Amino acid sequence: MTLSTHLGPSGDMPAWAVALAVALAIASFAMLLVEMRRRERGGTAIAVTGLLAVAALLAAVLRPARVSARESVVGARVVVLADTSRSMALKQRGGARWEARDRAVQMLAKAHPDARLAVLGFGQGAATPLGISAPEPDEEQRTTRATESDLGTAVRALAASPQERPAAVVVVSDGRLDDPPEDASDASLHALGDALHVPIDAVATTRDAPADASVRRVSAAGAAVAHVPLPLRVEVGCAGGLACDELTVTARELRDDGPPAVLASGVAHLKDGKAALDMTITLERAGSRIVEVSIKAPPGDTIPENDRRLVTFAVARERVRVLHVAGHPTNDVRALRQWLKSDASIDVVAFFILRTPMNDVRATQNELALIPFPVDELFTEHLPSFDAIVLQDFDAQPYGLEKYLPNVERYVRGGGGLVMVGGTNSFVAGGYAGTPLADVLPVELDGSPGGTAADTSPFVPQWTPEGRVAPLLAPLRDVVGDELPEMPGANVLGDVRPGGVALWTHPTRTTRSGAKMPVLAVGEEGDGRTIALGIDGAWKLEFSQLGAHTAGRGHAALWDGLLGWLMRDPRFEPAQIEVVGGCTAGLPVTLRARMLPSHGAPGGGPETVSLDVTRIDAPEKPIHVERPLPPEASSVDLPLPALAAGGYTARLRLAGGATTRHDFACEVGGDEWADSRPDPPRLQALARATGGSFAFADDAGTLPLPKPTVVNAERHVTPLAPPWAWSLAAAVLLGVHWVARRRSGLS
Amino acid sequence: MRFRSPALARLSSPKTLAAALALAVGVALALLVPRPARAFGDSGGFDPRVLLTGNQTGPARATAPGRWSWELIQRTSAPARLHPTVVRADDPAIVDAPFLYWSGDADVAPLTSAEIAGLRRFFSLGGVLLVDDAGAGDRGEKSPFGIGARREIARVLPDGTPIVLGTDHVLFRTFYLLRRAEGRVEGPPSLDAIVRGGQAQVLFSEHDLGGALARSPAGVWEHPVVPGGDIQREHAVRLAVNIAMYVLCSNYKDDQVHAPFLMRRRALSFP
Repeated sequence: MTLSTHLGPSGDMPAWAVALAVALAIASFAMLLVEMRRRERGGTAIAVTGLLAVAALLAAVLRPARVSARESVVGARVVVLADTSRSMALKQRGGARWEARDRAVQMLAKAHPDARLAVLGFGQGAATPLGISAPEPDEEQRTTRATESDLGTAVRALAASPQERPAAVVVVSDGRLDDPPEDASDASLHALGDALHVPIDAVATTRDAPADASVRRVSAAGAAVAHVPLPLRVEVGCAGGLACDELTVTARELRDDGPPAVLASGVAHLKDGKAALDMTITLERAGSRIVEVSIKAPPGDTIPENDRRLVTFAVARERVRVLHVAGHPTNDVRALRQWLKSDASIDVVAFFILRTPMNDVRATQNELALIPFPVDELFTEHLPSFDAIVLQDFDAQPYGLEKYLPNVERYVRGGGGLVMVGGTNSFVAGGYAGTPLADVLPVELDGSPGGTAADTSPFVPQWTPEGRVAPLLAPLRDVVGDELPEMPGANVLGDVRPGGVALWTHPTRTTRSGAKMPVLAVGEEGDGRTIALGIDGAWKLEFSQLGAHTAGRGHAALWDGLLGWLMRDPRFEPAQIEVVGGCTAGLPVTLRARMLPSHGAPGGGPETVSLDVTRIDAPEKPIHVERPLPPEASSVDLPLPALAAGGYTARLRLAGGATTRHDFACEVGGDEWADSRPDPPRLQALARATGGSFAFADDAGTLPLPKPTVVNAERHVTPLAPPWAWSLAAAVLLGVHWVARRRSGLS
Repeated sequence: MRFRSPALARLSSPKTLAAALALAVGVALALLVPRPARAFGDSGGFDPRVLLTGNQTGPARATAPGRWSWELIQRTSAPARLHPTVVRADDPAIVDAPFLYWSGDADVAPLTSAEIAGLRRFFSLGGVLLVDDAGAGDRGEKSPFGIGARREIARVLPDGTPIVLGTDHVLFRTFYLLRRAEGRVEGPPSLDAIVRGGQAQVLFSEHDLGGALARSPAGVWEHPVVPGGDIQREHAVRLAVNIAMYVLCSNYKDDQVHAPFLMRRRALSFP
């Protein structure tokens, strides 16, 4: 702060009055000079006295005073919007783009020491303060992790901010922005500047494109639906002098039950360094599915990370295709078929064994409405087209299903759903013990000599603590509460296998381990889910006294939950998993699990959430995380260490035993690295449209920034003389002038 | 000197001992192998439950329901109750299974409100009722039971009007391919039915189906079948099997996967 002193008119006069007085004084003196040009005698005396008289009169009006004040110089507030997107981590000559960005900011600060620079980082959403003045070891990770380059949102948020409006905005970026887009018009760029009412200056960090072939964009026409062909458009490009006339593009689904499945491939012919290839893929399994779209890059490619993109599709089901195979027509088969057929969203392909070799139909083949059971076709070529298989009281051996059980096992591990419903020919009695199919059921099957296949004593199933809180049984509990009808018997099942959960148990029977025998159990195997329902009396939820009291809704509610859970219907998942802010390879990741409102720990006790993350596309040690979940909490964040680029499956398990799954992908650069070319022309256009200036990073110091503002403080006004003294002097000098004029013969 | 009986001597021969040992091992293994339970699922099998109303004390053809189950077990894979149950219309147990068989030859007493309520509960759950007119004339003329049963069912289901089920209905191909309905009497070629929610919930037969099925414990058919004799009886049994299959499988044979097969066979069977 500095002290300054100067002369000025009396403080009580408005500026217009001062100007008027000065103008009148000048006019009076001019008239005097005109008058003197016609005089030859006494002209000098008249002019001098006239000048003095006019000056005194002016002083009498203005009453001069001495003004002293303390002054300070305030630098203009300049907001620097620095790009923090992942593309700033790309390497270039002399370091990385983020290093050029930081140098440009430092040059700006050095060239304009008076300017008040506020350095904000933009990427996703509103810009946030970015501390880059003192470089830290983790600066690259910290300042290049945004998965978008949304300048538009950052500018609009800045305009809406209640903070001091900036005098200038400087954007420092490589120009590869999401908003404004590449083809933005001048009008839209101008509108962006209008939001702030200040010009936007721009600094480009990068001049030249790297030698790079990449998958620039993968877009799908519409939502992905299981079993329905999905058109994909794959845009590829070559830049930086890389020679590529054509690129082979391949789309593969990453699967945790085996190697990736090739969905489509084609050759893209490049023109002007880019090409678009239309492909059609069909995803057979619903849920989150990861598709890898890759190219075979030519030699000299400097960024291999963007040669493949991992795209996560949320595959929906338009309709659920169910294969319903029953060994006998029974009331239970009837009830399940009627429920399946009543739901318009379910396509049922049913095969019921209506005749066995033991039966005597007393008719010729042509008199029968029976068709052969196409076991070969169903369990080979058509198997993948089904979302779920229901084997109800079906004996594998007589119908040749045994040799296809490995197919069913693979089908389940690959994402299919399987329900085995009880009866005299199910589970152990159906010859499934020791088969590959038994390996994917949620319960053990004891097929050893002496083992018992069924217990035919009537019983009422008991709810387990896990069953009481399982979302998949919530619809049934809403209808019947705790009550269940008496069952005529049960298949003898073994212990629940690892990863399985018993929801109903037998009241008296126990397993080898001494646990209560499961009657209804669910489990996950590989990518698929399975259900074991060891009774054939579920139809009694419809036809019984309990069924009559509940209008028979219990049976539909049970199967709605069972099939819904099998199909990963979000209504029956215990939680929803999301990747907070996306997953960038090499950076820590956080998964957030949102619990269903109805969810609770069995018995209402404290709950633990455990998460297992496994790599889909490569062998890697699984990651296990556990967190306590307070009773009131509706979500919990589960931090993970940095992951490598690839596909992952996260399996969340609550203390209640219920599990849910979410597949996600991690990429090194994602969208930000897909097109590695810098775009200085876009920054130039932005600066031009908003009235700002443009420079490359090396010349950032040349950008003109607004000058500082001077602010006065402690202002003191002291009159040079009292008003009467100025009036007296004016009167005396006017008198002297009058005398001089008279002597010269003027009036 | 030791005495051995010839039989004992035969048993102690090496060949016999080996055979006995093999038999014992076989029996032991047979005992050890997991056995499917026999009764498990019986309650879920077809039960031609006899419905009684008013002062009825039993079905018009007492042995018919049991024979119906027997024929079903012999001819198909469907389990069935060889000793079908009996239930009164006002018994809460009326809702315990999805099928009822109502037969008679005399007029039906007006249903009480409790009987109407019981039957309505049964139908609301999706149950199926076969009304079998045991007193139907040779040409299918309705007996007082047939007339009275229709009258009372109209009180139970006032919104339901019987319609004709032609041979193109799935009921005529649920197991056998049938060209017409037949019973103890030839009657009309079709059945009447009240269809609700796409399902035939009440089937009206003017063929005395039970009369064709009734068979004494001594193995003698209880009623002559006119005019077709044994062939007509066989057709009646087939209709009974088809009705049971319709109850257990509903419209399974309407599924698209069966269509080409059945069309081809119908062309061969009924040129």
